[in-house]
Amino acid sequence: MKKFVSMLTAGALALSLVGCSDSNEKASSGKSGSDEKVTLDFWVFGSTGYQKLIDEYQKDHPNVKIKLNEGELNDMHNNLFTSISAGSGAPDIAMIEVSQMEKFKEASERFYNLKEYGADEYEKNFLDWKWQQGQSVDGSFQMGFPTDIGPTAMFYRTDVLEAAGLPTKPEELSAKLNTWEDFYEMAKTVKEKTGKPMSDSPELVFNALRDQQSEHYFNEKDELIIQESVKDAYDYTAKMIQEGLVGKNSLWTPEWGSAMADGSYAVMPGAPAWMMGVVKGNAPDAGGKWSLTNIPEGAGNWGGSFLTVPKESKHPEEAVEFISWLTSPESQLKSFNDMGLFPSTPDVYENEDFLGTTDEYFSGQPTAKIFAEAAKSVKPVYMGKNYAIVNTEILTALTNVATKKADPEKEWNKAVERIEKQIGRQ
Amino acid sequence: MTGVNTEKASLKKNPLGTKRSFTEKKKEALAGYLYISPFFILFAIFGLFPILFSFYLGFHKWNGFGEMEYVGFKNFNLILSDPLFWKSLSNTMIMWILGTLPQLLIGIILAYALNAAIIKYKSIFRVSVFMPYVTSTVAVAIVFGIMFNDQPFGLFNIIIGWFGMDPINWTTSDWGLKIAISTMVFWRWVGYNTIIYLAGLQAIPSELYEAATIDGASTRQKIQYITIPMLKPIIILTVFTSTIGALQLFTEPLIMVGRTYREEGLTVVLYLYREAFNNMAFGTASATAIILFLIIVVLSSINVFIANRIGK
Repeated sequence: MKKFVSMLTAGALALSLVGCSDSNEKASSGKSGSDEKVTLDFWVFGSTGYQKLIDEYQKDHPNVKIKLNEGELNDMHNNLFTSISAGSGAPDIAMIEVSQMEKFKEASERFYNLKEYGADEYEKNFLDWKWQQGQSVDGSFQMGFPTDIGPTAMFYRTDVLEAAGLPTKPEELSAKLNTWEDFYEMAKTVKEKTGKPMSDSPELVFNALRDQQSEHYFNEKDELIIQESVKDAYDYTAKMIQEGLVGKNSLWTPEWGSAMADGSYAVMPGAPAWMMGVVKGNAPDAGGKWSLTNIPEGAGNWGGSFLTVPKESKHPEEAVEFISWLTSPESQLKSFNDMGLFPSTPDVYENEDFLGTTDEYFSGQPTAKIFAEAAKSVKPVYMGKNYAIVNTEILTALTNVATKKADPEKEWNKAVERIEKQIGRQ
Repeated sequence: MTGVNTEKASLKKNPLGTKRSFTEKKKEALAGYLYISPFFILFAIFGLFPILFSFYLGFHKWNGFGEMEYVGFKNFNLILSDPLFWKSLSNTMIMWILGTLPQLLIGIILAYALNAAIIKYKSIFRVSVFMPYVTSTVAVAIVFGIMFNDQPFGLFNIIIGWFGMDPINWTTSDWGLKIAISTMVFWRWVGYNTIIYLAGLQAIPSELYEAATIDGASTRQKIQYITIPMLKPIIILTVFTSTIGALQLFTEPLIMVGRTYREEGLTVVLYLYREAFNNMAFGTASATAIILFLIIVVLSSINVFIANRIGK
């Protein structure tokens, strides 16, 4: 008991000392000395494997202590939203997923503008489109430093294509799939020869087509432009569904997962780099039956994150120094080797070891090289804060076409109506 | 006791003493309030404040970050003129009928069976009937999600296949989704109500049954003239609580329909959750909460009214 009390006192003393040094630093208001102890709270989601890099950083920066807090994607963003909204409880550094970025950009005054902390210096490290996703429309406010990205490729089942009498080598297959018209023709062949659909999920087909447009759901004035931008993609997907060339599985359902193992369809277009892990997890025994190649007419991006510094942080300089190191090409290469986070820094794409990465599961293909090519061809796109609402409603329409055999035109109009209703309320 | 009284009486004569006893009384009261304060403080922060705040929010437009803008009754107007809100309300009502009513009927039958003298290993049965209630809702929803699989190999699709029916798209069809969610609610809550009924049954004095047996009453008559009337307060209680619970149905549909918020499985609370945390429209979400509150008040009043009428 005595020991406990003395420990408590010591702890309290240490805390008050930290408090003292903190206020001293403010008083002197100069550049903080390197001997000053700084603790940074760092929130991330998913499996980043950042702890290893943090340990490395702390070795070189003995004055900085980084507390990593790992959570689930939705939980972490909800917590961040609540603490930003309440004005207390936010960490020094927060990882924000690209689909959530626009929402938080609405509250950009609650974040540090990284441009004021030398962000311009690092711009050249990153892919242009990724860097732009992390800033305001006019580019004056840099909210986050890019971490990983999700460039997309087309995954395919070699056994199904073989049964349909189609080429199974990536180059040959890619040569036969120059356009979406080719894709459609090939789908008919697959259906005829094997009785299987070309793809099982309407969402992935639609995403692949959508991601090739220079504008998605909103223009930079936040006007809904889906009629002009993605209606063609919707019509194409709906036509494929109606002709039985695309199945009706929704992503993340058990049947979607088991279809990966069964080989009940031929290709998965628009699948990002991190989907490799999902496929392996769902189909551990299908090694060698999967392979990957380019998507006809170009790649897209799905997922990836940014590191931001909320205004509540008392140590923006230290935080920016750390995140600029964590997102540097060298660190991103380490994250790739460790956890497969695909780097957003084109420098890495020149690295021999990186380009030499092959995957036996995916028929020994040079996966990193394929995704790096894809990453370079991604078009920068403005998403807008209501991206998720539109996406959900379009998917609902496609699901209805697939599962209820509903009329695509009617479903589209209903979706537009639902979207406009929801957006009108904000 | 008398000693205290005389002391108080004697103190009353002294004006100073009166004051002292008053402060002591006050102290005692204060101590009492302090003892019960933790609940009230926590309730005020986590219960009362959010309730009042959502009433306030219901009249404002707010995205969670920026300035709040007063909009009067516009939010209520938007919600009440939204066909999707009415759809979510009718969904909730249908799931209430599908999930809650059978729950109460089967609960009584199960409780009667568990209470019967003929059953062996009573406690095992009681525990297993109650077990679903203590399982995590999320786990239940995931397991049911797998059983109500859209594919022909889903458990329920296999079962209906035995009767020659075609596989149903449980997760996207109007009735399929409602039946799936209601089944889940039924499975989870039937044990809870059974245990409450069981407690009610055990409180019925056995003399009544003995007397009835002597008078030659049949089992049916015993149930009709003793069990049901004696169980009435308990029945009213369960109808009451399960109605309120059914109107606030949330976790099960959220996990079944996921973040697609498909309208076939949208309940009122899921509707308001989507407004707030998906669409960043906290004003309309709060307005929905207020409307739901009023609906619950009305339904509860009807409940009380009917219950009192039956009581007379």
